[in-house]
Amino acid sequence: MHLRRLLRKAALQIFLGLLGVMFLWPAAAPAQEEVTSAIRRYKERELSTGYYEEYEVKPRRQRPFVGVPEVLRRHPSVTSYRPRAALEPRTRSRLEDSHAGIQFYEHRHCEECHVKEAKHSHTTRGNLTCRQCHGAEPIAGINSYYSPMNPIRRHAYVCSKCHEGANTSFATFMVHEPKAGDAATRKTFASLYYSNWFMYLLIVGTLAFFGLHTLIWVGKESYHAIREKMKPEPEPEPKPEPEPELKAESPPEKPEPKPQEEAPPEKPEPKEPENE
Amino acid sequence: MNDQVRIVRFNIFDRLFHVFIMVTFLLQAVTGMGRLLYTTGWGKFVVSLFGGYTGATTVHNRVGVLMIIGFVVHIVYVLGKVEWKSWRQSLFDADSVVPRRADVVHLGQKVRWFFGLGPPPAFDRWTYWEKFDYWAVFWGLPLLGFTGLMLMYPLATSSIMPGWMLNVLVLFHRAEALLAMLYIFIIHFTIGHLRRGMFPMNECMFAGSVDLEKEKEEKPLWIARLQEAGRLEQVMVPGPPRWYRVMYFIFGYLAVGVGLYLLLNLIIYRSYVEWH
Repeated sequence: MHLRRLLRKAALQIFLGLLGVMFLWPAAAPAQEEVTSAIRRYKERELSTGYYEEYEVKPRRQRPFVGVPEVLRRHPSVTSYRPRAALEPRTRSRLEDSHAGIQFYEHRHCEECHVKEAKHSHTTRGNLTCRQCHGAEPIAGINSYYSPMNPIRRHAYVCSKCHEGANTSFATFMVHEPKAGDAATRKTFASLYYSNWFMYLLIVGTLAFFGLHTLIWVGKESYHAIREKMKPEPEPEPKPEPEPELKAESPPEKPEPKPQEEAPPEKPEPKEPENE
Repeated sequence: MNDQVRIVRFNIFDRLFHVFIMVTFLLQAVTGMGRLLYTTGWGKFVVSLFGGYTGATTVHNRVGVLMIIGFVVHIVYVLGKVEWKSWRQSLFDADSVVPRRADVVHLGQKVRWFFGLGPPPAFDRWTYWEKFDYWAVFWGLPLLGFTGLMLMYPLATSSIMPGWMLNVLVLFHRAEALLAMLYIFIIHFTIGHLRRGMFPMNECMFAGSVDLEKEKEEKPLWIARLQEAGRLEQVMVPGPPRWYRVMYFIFGYLAVGVGLYLLLNLIIYRSYVEWH
């Protein structure tokens, strides 16, 4: 009896406690929800901006983009969410005038500072100048919100000037690509780095194997041929052999064709005519 | 040549496929390497033969499509050659170019022979390096064809994969083309022309027939198989007419000349190449 009452009391307390928790647990505010569910609900917009510092609200349980590997992997430059970026106003790629404050800027050429960037297929083959893509003065940083180079609109404002119909995916082509063989490329463009290694090993392996094979082969054949040629000269041989080059390719210890165990000559006859 | 006993090795289709791949491959090599070295004077000269950079690109693209078509035709032809009722035997017998265990054995014997540790291997109809020549084209052509097609239509490509994959595809295309050119211009040419006993030219791919006496030395198992089946007389053919020999000598040496010319310039201008 006493125990029963105690149990009932405990059940009631647990129920009331849960009820209290239910009411007192902070509800998801709409503003918070906007960010936490942004991947699903505002996907297009979020994928195409890349500039959230000022108007976003704090995420409730997870940071909005960092935790979404698929988005990060496919659009690394687009969704680089760095809250601290707002505290780094001097990040030049985010400036409206990326060269602001550089002394004697007016008298300098792009390639004096951007040495590596000046050499790539769009300039060497496509004959483009820097400004045809990066815009006129003041040249905006590529991540500046109003830059035509911003990944939001790069495909539409820059790429599609020549490549009609360019989309965001197309715009992720790296014009200023890193050198595939550089160690740093493993971090910045891993697939290029590893593809380079793969092809390098394939080329070197194939050529080393068959190169050596051919070299030794040719050398040995010539050696035998020369030895054959040298041999009969000191003492006149009775057997007349006017064409030494026919025998030349066979070494002196050349045996008769001996049957191989893998290719038995007695196996059934192929039906095709010989010139298969 | 006409006093030799000659037997059939390649039929007219095999020879036509070879001439086809020779012409298209060299065209691709010239138009490709001209554009690869476009930053050099030599590259500009080569490209100018095809009407400038875009002209060379157009030729390269169209010949590439032609090669893909030729490859598909070849696959259909080869599939038609297989005796599907006894496909296992048809695919793996000695008249097939499919690699067999004997090839590994032959390679081992050949390496032993290189170091004077044994007799040279007695080959059947196809030696392992001839099989490698065949299968190298079989892996290279699809790789170059697929990457080339994707690079030809970058917008469509970037809609099914991220745009930065184009960077990787360029690397694959160029590296595989480099491997193909180096292999053909160095190793294939050496084996086909420079090797003692072959010099000045291994004519069987053009004449279609080979000297029986020579093959008894190099491919005794094949001859033994033919003799055993009593088909040696059936496959005997007269040698190629003189005018035809003159023609293919000119053609073959033209091809070798083009190849070596490209190789030489690739070596000279190697530091100007961007591999991706």
